[in-house]
Amino acid sequence: MRRDFASCIVTVLCVAVVLFFPSTRAAGQENSDKHEPQGVNPAGGGVPAVSLKHLEAKTSGPTPRTADGKPDLSAVWGPGLNMGNIAVNLKPGDQLPLQPWALKLTQDRATPEAKRKDPKPNCLPDGVPREDPFPYKIVQTPKLIVFLLEGNVHSYRQIFMDGSGHPTDDLEPSYYGDSRGHWEGDTLVVDTIGFNDKTWFDGTGHPHTEKLHVIERYRRPDLANLEFEVTIDDPGAYTKPFTIYGHSPLLLNTDLMEYWCVENAAQDLIHIVGDSK
Amino acid sequence: MRAKLGFAVTGLFVAALATSPAFAHHAFGLQYDAGRSTTLHGVVTKVEWTNPHAHFYVDIKDENGNVSNWNMELASPNALRRLGWTRDILKVGDEVSVYGAPAKDGAKMANARTVTLADGRKMVAGLSEKDAEQ
Repeated sequence: MRRDFASCIVTVLCVAVVLFFPSTRAAGQENSDKHEPQGVNPAGGGVPAVSLKHLEAKTSGPTPRTADGKPDLSAVWGPGLNMGNIAVNLKPGDQLPLQPWALKLTQDRATPEAKRKDPKPNCLPDGVPREDPFPYKIVQTPKLIVFLLEGNVHSYRQIFMDGSGHPTDDLEPSYYGDSRGHWEGDTLVVDTIGFNDKTWFDGTGHPHTEKLHVIERYRRPDLANLEFEVTIDDPGAYTKPFTIYGHSPLLLNTDLMEYWCVENAAQDLIHIVGDSK
Repeated sequence: MRAKLGFAVTGLFVAALATSPAFAHHAFGLQYDAGRSTTLHGVVTKVEWTNPHAHFYVDIKDENGNVSNWNMELASPNALRRLGWTRDILKVGDEVSVYGAPAKDGAKMANARTVTLADGRKMVAGLSEKDAEQ
């Protein structure tokens, strides 16, 4: 009887620990879980941000749709690419088809002096498709889709869905270019030109020119996942087009927050002395 | 005691930190030497809740009793909020332990990976999953 009672107490305590433990590990405290990147990226996806990990939707469901039957991409999404080196997001075996000058420039950008000129730590916009380990938000309407970017600087992309084409003249080169979108079945296709050449594709320093033409394809196969591929065609810097693959997880119980990179960035720049390894 | 045990465990994973995690603002390896990651104990003297990185400063006493002030870099405030931090979680005068990587340029500066607060809570301070591998 006594042993049964003791056994019962132990059992109750064990159950209590099992039930209680998950709720005691608050966000931000030591997390030893090792999550593999999810998604369809054949290269394995990006580096998931631990600050966002606990916000990823744990359940799934059908693809939400708008009144006109299109997939509704509106949501807050986590970053979906590895932006240390864009080549990581290629299919296994693929290589970046750099032209010789672009390869040399990338190599030249390996020095600390060059890294200090990376637009990102200087708080300039990322361009396309570079990302930050912060969320972004898609706001979808029938005629316009807006990407709201928490970082690198607070910024936005407008995807015009009204059937109009790119301006044929007087297109001022810009960080995010001119984007026009349409639906191919359940896939949102975004065509962008009109980039300036001021951004780097990644922290490694892979360059591009103003001839850059980017085609993005976004699919929301279910509630919690946004799959995308980005085809980069820049005859000014690459010998042929190439495609990278990404996956963004749906984030719940969060929204975009302020991130003003420029506030105190100078303090970091002066300490950049090493390589990125 | 709990903190000491935690840092003993984290020490086993120092080698695993010699990678280049994605960082909000700059690549980690440009500024910090993960291979020399260590634990520093001291008293908070100032907190800067700023972008692109929050910072706090800690007076650290060496074995000879000499005190030096170290600048500890954290993730950005938006990332820290999502990790459970608040701007007043660190207060001047708090005794803390910081596991982090020192600056490559020799400055008395480190990137904090985890911070053990005065009340014993151990907070992840970095941004990426690799930052929290220790």
